[in-house]
Amino acid sequence: MNPGVRSQNTEVRNERMKAEVKSRKSESGIQDTEDSGTKKAKETTTIAVAGNPNAGKSTLINAIAGARMQVGNWPGVTVEKKTAFFEHVGQRIKLVDLPGTYSLSPYTQEEIITRDYLVHEKPDVIVNVVDATNLERNLYLTLQMMELEIPMVLALNIYDEAEAKGYRFDLKALSSMLGVAVVPTTATKGEGLKALLTAALAAAEDPAAHVPKPVAYGDDIERAADAVVGGLGSELPDVLRQYPPRWLALKLMEADHTVLTRLGMPADSPIITSATGHLRTAHGEDMEALLADARYAQATGLAREVLKKPDVRKREITEKIDAVVLNRFFGIPIFLAAMWLMFKLTFDVSKPFADWLGAMISGPFKRAAEALVAILQAPAWIASLISDGIIAGVGAVLVFVPVIFAMMFFITFLEGSGYMARAAFVMDRAMHAIGLHGKSFIPMLLGFGCNVPAIYATRTLENPKDKALTALLIPLTSCGARLPVYVVFIGTFFASQAATVLWSLYVMGIALAICVGMVFKRTLFRGEAPMFIMELPPYRMPTFRSLMIHTWEKGKHFLIKAGTYILAVSIIVWFLLNMPWGVENKKDSYMGQVGQVIAPALKPLGFGSWEAGSALIAGLVAKEIVVGTMGEIYVKKEEEGEKEEAPPLREELAGIVTSFGTAVKEAGANVISTVGIATMSSDETEEKKAERMPLREELQKQFTPLSAYAFITFVLLYMPCAVVAIAMRQEFGTWKWYGIAFAYQMVLAWTVAFIIYQGGTLLGLGG
Amino acid sequence: MTLAELRPGQKGRILQIGALGPLKRRLMDMGIVIGEEIVVEKVAPLGDPIEVRIKSYNLSLRKKEAHEIQVEAV
Repeated sequence: MNPGVRSQNTEVRNERMKAEVKSRKSESGIQDTEDSGTKKAKETTTIAVAGNPNAGKSTLINAIAGARMQVGNWPGVTVEKKTAFFEHVGQRIKLVDLPGTYSLSPYTQEEIITRDYLVHEKPDVIVNVVDATNLERNLYLTLQMMELEIPMVLALNIYDEAEAKGYRFDLKALSSMLGVAVVPTTATKGEGLKALLTAALAAAEDPAAHVPKPVAYGDDIERAADAVVGGLGSELPDVLRQYPPRWLALKLMEADHTVLTRLGMPADSPIITSATGHLRTAHGEDMEALLADARYAQATGLAREVLKKPDVRKREITEKIDAVVLNRFFGIPIFLAAMWLMFKLTFDVSKPFADWLGAMISGPFKRAAEALVAILQAPAWIASLISDGIIAGVGAVLVFVPVIFAMMFFITFLEGSGYMARAAFVMDRAMHAIGLHGKSFIPMLLGFGCNVPAIYATRTLENPKDKALTALLIPLTSCGARLPVYVVFIGTFFASQAATVLWSLYVMGIALAICVGMVFKRTLFRGEAPMFIMELPPYRMPTFRSLMIHTWEKGKHFLIKAGTYILAVSIIVWFLLNMPWGVENKKDSYMGQVGQVIAPALKPLGFGSWEAGSALIAGLVAKEIVVGTMGEIYVKKEEEGEKEEAPPLREELAGIVTSFGTAVKEAGANVISTVGIATMSSDETEEKKAERMPLREELQKQFTPLSAYAFITFVLLYMPCAVVAIAMRQEFGTWKWYGIAFAYQMVLAWTVAFIIYQGGTLLGLGG
Repeated sequence: MTLAELRPGQKGRILQIGALGPLKRRLMDMGIVIGEEIVVEKVAPLGDPIEVRIKSYNLSLRKKEAHEIQVEAV
């Protein structure tokens, strides 16, 4: 089938369709609530950018709109929606980034979002970003978008790479066969982008002339589509005004369930069956496959006509790298080394900055706030609320910022460079055994540093099922915040076998993650495992600009959205610990009262005291708080004499700057010295040890080694902290998954601690 | 024979796609259409998934998925 040669019929249809588009467009003026009015008077031109994953779409958008992108979600789903408003040659433009898709089938979230947007929101023009090095497969999507009869411009992206490969394009022929403007672009270098925007605006200006020519899928299919349109015309004439008729007919022939549902039509409606009868006899029952085949035949034909490839294919750099990176023997060691490096860099680079921010908040910032409160002579409870509630809360938010930034930077790099797909390829077998996807490995690994960035990292998983299961298992990876709890207890009770006991906790977390994964795979996530089918794109160096924009967007998002929640939780915990105001004994505070209520439930686990109960509840903010709260509860603090004089302002400011310098130096040093994982070291400084002495003595009175082990196991496994809750809420748009994590982990923690304590007692280890 | 049975370096021509529904559509959307030539490039270090080359790009899929694709060796 040659797309260049069309029957008289098709030409006639083209004309008819253009007329229809015109009439639909003018009618649709009423529906365009956002920008009503006629085309000419319109102030903002909406450009939808769509294309295959790995076609450089996001680099192109970042190059055009940069930091002007506003990130949100598509309604009802957690797929990111990015929009930007800006001006080009005096015209106001709204740029909408559609999710990257390979097709417009009704099976994935991304595809449904894309087609719903195109069909219902009717952008003025589609910019279809096409990977010039992979023309044929990209044109397959182009053909499907052309069916929607929206003015279109083709950005033939990654043009430099295609030229370097010796590809020669006949741009004129491509443009005339598709009936759309074709602009070669190299987004990484910013080439062709101005011309692309100008072409897009020109298309929006004169839509009738830029609606793509429908490429015919063969006489049999076209005749059937005409028949369906005819049938619809007599039975449901209204829908023909709402949707492009040929597109609608093709979707009905494919038995596209979303379209059928929207029209309230059964798949075996006579309108469809009578029109497709001869197709079914000639080609079998699977119309969807027949159409996919027909579209690919056209894409192949088009690509053959407009693209000349060199006769000999050079062995590409990607193949050379993959020969090593995916090697049967070296593949896994290289992967593990890369992961270890990323883990180190993420946590070691961010840690000095987190420490610096923490010190700034609890030092100069807190002192300044306290001074202000003193000047204003505010009541004591307000002073406490500000310094122990609000400022502590701000501190809790800020310490996460460096790690979120660092994690997003590395994840974006892994994805943009193409290595993420290789990581998934190498690890899939192992991860699939527990119901996960190859890509799940990286979020799970990050969990050992901190569960919060790990939850955000699940966004690399496209399938919602894979993503949810990964997020549910992440809290079982023992994060850095649990370490202070282990350290205090292990130092007190198991000093002689500290390393063994510590490792037993990490191993227990991993083993339980495997078991729980298996259980969830057979219960909550029963049914067909999500598909793996994944492109292995060529290695490419992501642009610095793109890396920075993605990292910044995520960090900002976290600060604003998660920040407010975390602050609220900190204030609530302050309230519970300090109210009713003026309580002498912590036992009488609300927290102490709750501790007393839950103590009986903890009794079978060996730590049924209100103190332990209260400390565990306080751990909701962050698990390390468990230790702090215990210190506060068990050890009567000597309040007097503790207050240090605030240094003069000049010294204070100088301190902020020099300590930041130290943090930068430390981060640099951490990059260089990659020995010993800082966040996982079980050593406590002498200073810390001395500080914790009174707590240790008290713990020895309250716990036995057995109940201490049951307690730290409980801390390992029980509810994820509030920040994880917020991260899950943000990533999934619902509290559902946190609810499930909370429930199963509580049950798991209680059960395991029960087995340890009761089993240990039976074995005579209770003494 | 199926795609899962081809060894790395072997080339096949796609005869039929056995899967139904979303899996079949997804395979076809990725260019796995009847008559197309497909080369098995690599098997992952742990034995699954596999990497294939089709329509001049590289794709990975699990053996279970490759099992649905009937090929003849060429």
